[in-house]
Amino acid sequence: MDVFTLSLWLLRIGFVVLIYVFLFMVARALWHDLRAGVSGAGRPLGRLVVIAAQEGRPAAGTSLQLDAINSIGRDVNNSIVIDDTFVSADHAMLTFRGRAWYIEDRGSTNGTYLNGQRVDGLLPLGYGDELQIGQVRLRLERPRPE
Amino acid sequence: MTSAARVLYSAGIRPRFRWREFGLLAVVALALVTGWASLSSFRAGELGLGDAGLLATYLAFLFAIHVAFVITGRRMDQVLFPTAAMLAGISLLLMQRLPPDLVQQSIAGRDLTLAPLQLVWITLGLVILAASAIFVRSDGWLRRYKYSWAAAGIGLLLLVFLFGEVTGGARLTLTLGPLSGQPSELLKVILVVFLAGYLAENRAVLAANSTKVGPIKLPPIPYLLPMLAMWGIALAIVIVQRDLGAALLYFLVFLALLYVATRRASYVVFGLLMFVVGGAVLYGLFPHVQDRVNIWIDPFSDPQGAGYQIIRAMYAYGRGGILGTGLGAGLPQVGTVPSIPAIHTDFVFTALAEEMGMLGALALLGLYALIAQRGFRIAATAADDFRALLATGLTLVIVIQAAIICGGNLRVVPLTGITLPLISYGGSSMLVNGAVIGLLLALSDRGVEAPPPGARPNVVRRLGRRARGLSGRVEEAIS
Repeated sequence: MDVFTLSLWLLRIGFVVLIYVFLFMVARALWHDLRAGVSGAGRPLGRLVVIAAQEGRPAAGTSLQLDAINSIGRDVNNSIVIDDTFVSADHAMLTFRGRAWYIEDRGSTNGTYLNGQRVDGLLPLGYGDELQIGQVRLRLERPRPE
Repeated sequence: MTSAARVLYSAGIRPRFRWREFGLLAVVALALVTGWASLSSFRAGELGLGDAGLLATYLAFLFAIHVAFVITGRRMDQVLFPTAAMLAGISLLLMQRLPPDLVQQSIAGRDLTLAPLQLVWITLGLVILAASAIFVRSDGWLRRYKYSWAAAGIGLLLLVFLFGEVTGGARLTLTLGPLSGQPSELLKVILVVFLAGYLAENRAVLAANSTKVGPIKLPPIPYLLPMLAMWGIALAIVIVQRDLGAALLYFLVFLALLYVATRRASYVVFGLLMFVVGGAVLYGLFPHVQDRVNIWIDPFSDPQGAGYQIIRAMYAYGRGGILGTGLGAGLPQVGTVPSIPAIHTDFVFTALAEEMGMLGALALLGLYALIAQRGFRIAATAADDFRALLATGLTLVIVIQAAIICGGNLRVVPLTGITLPLISYGGSSMLVNGAVIGLLLALSDRGVEAPPPGARPNVVRRLGRRARGLSGRVEEAIS
């Protein structure tokens, strides 16, 4: 078999094999999705990462684990306590309902902002969205894979 | 932050990277370049890419759309677009491989042949895909006007019925000035929109059974009538036009959606019984239905006439075998005569199976299975009933259509002429399927407007809520 015939054969098979590589890549991603969905019970649903805090509390880069219901505020009885002068005692509520996250302002003095817009009522948000509470900017992220 | 980024942010646009989509698109590009090299090398007799302008244009277009998705920051499914891109790319390769003079048309003063024309359709289809994925931010315009959509669809079909042109024994094509198209392709989407809207609104009532016909329990008839009427009109016109493939598609999609909305297997049983009865009636009434069935059972009874196409297809599978003959090495034409009529439309699956073999054909079916998985997943995570049913319906339209024509080509079911979605040559098919994938992408976007609160009567809504939770209790609640 000469070089040309061999290369042609390789190209031919390579084309089909690459389509299977594509299918395999997707299948693997789907498998990971499914596994994450099954083993996801009882694990944190997501986390809030501090991007920037004017007064340095909490420090930028801090990651806060989230449950299904998270109350945010300066009062120590909140599940997420943010000690910042511009945060109200009971500031906001971040909840996971069914399949989506929702943010709600609890009548704070300085308001809660979702991607730069003031939160009025109940707003849905997704992973990657940015919250501003007082002078603290936070980003909602997926739970860290284990 | 650069100034460009600041301009984007101030316009409310937040770019969001889509690495999984990018990675999959890279594999698509690699696979298509390999396929193109295989075809060109075989033709030229030496290794090389030949004139790869068409492929380069296509790939550039894919990545442009990817960049558009990234810049607009859409949080859509990242698998669906690369899968569609792989299918359309395979289509481009096959059209490049098939005899270029199968189709000739001049667009904007330039005479184009098969592959360049298909590239035009693919490009337009991708534009529609990207536009519907990016700009459809609310589904109100679909759910609010369901009866208008249904009426528009039926009107379109009536137009074809009155003014259409006959191609291949079926009255399919409507010509309007310089444009011509096959409205039955568009109708399938309109039908899904209507069914989704109607079923979402009335599913609680439909899931309850209050009418009994013998041992079969049916929902209250008045609620079933509008839907059956719409569907019956569409089906009747299609049958009169002799477009059997479309009729089969509409019927199966209707049945599947009814089942998904109500979870009642008795509807499916009833529907299949109706199908058997209807099939028998059609078989008795129309000679062309008899032809199709007879050829399916014994193609060798008329090898030079009605059975020619399917016999040639079977020879092609035999030549292809497991690994295929390789792109370019098959026999889609002998001399200047195409060995399989309609090789670029109805029998494109055969062209692929001959040159890429059983492995290639299975890979193709795998790609459709991926579309099904993504579509149903989008449906399962949808915010409300309408979106779930719409996503299910759109997915089914593509998957069932692929199943009907692949089954027909393989002589598993009687052959009915219908296009292989995203692969077959044809403008209407490409545009409509582009819109279907685009709508699925829009439905998968987690950033779109929340569905409107139901404007339904309170009783029905309460029932609907219960139906979602405890479907069994609904019967008690109504009685």
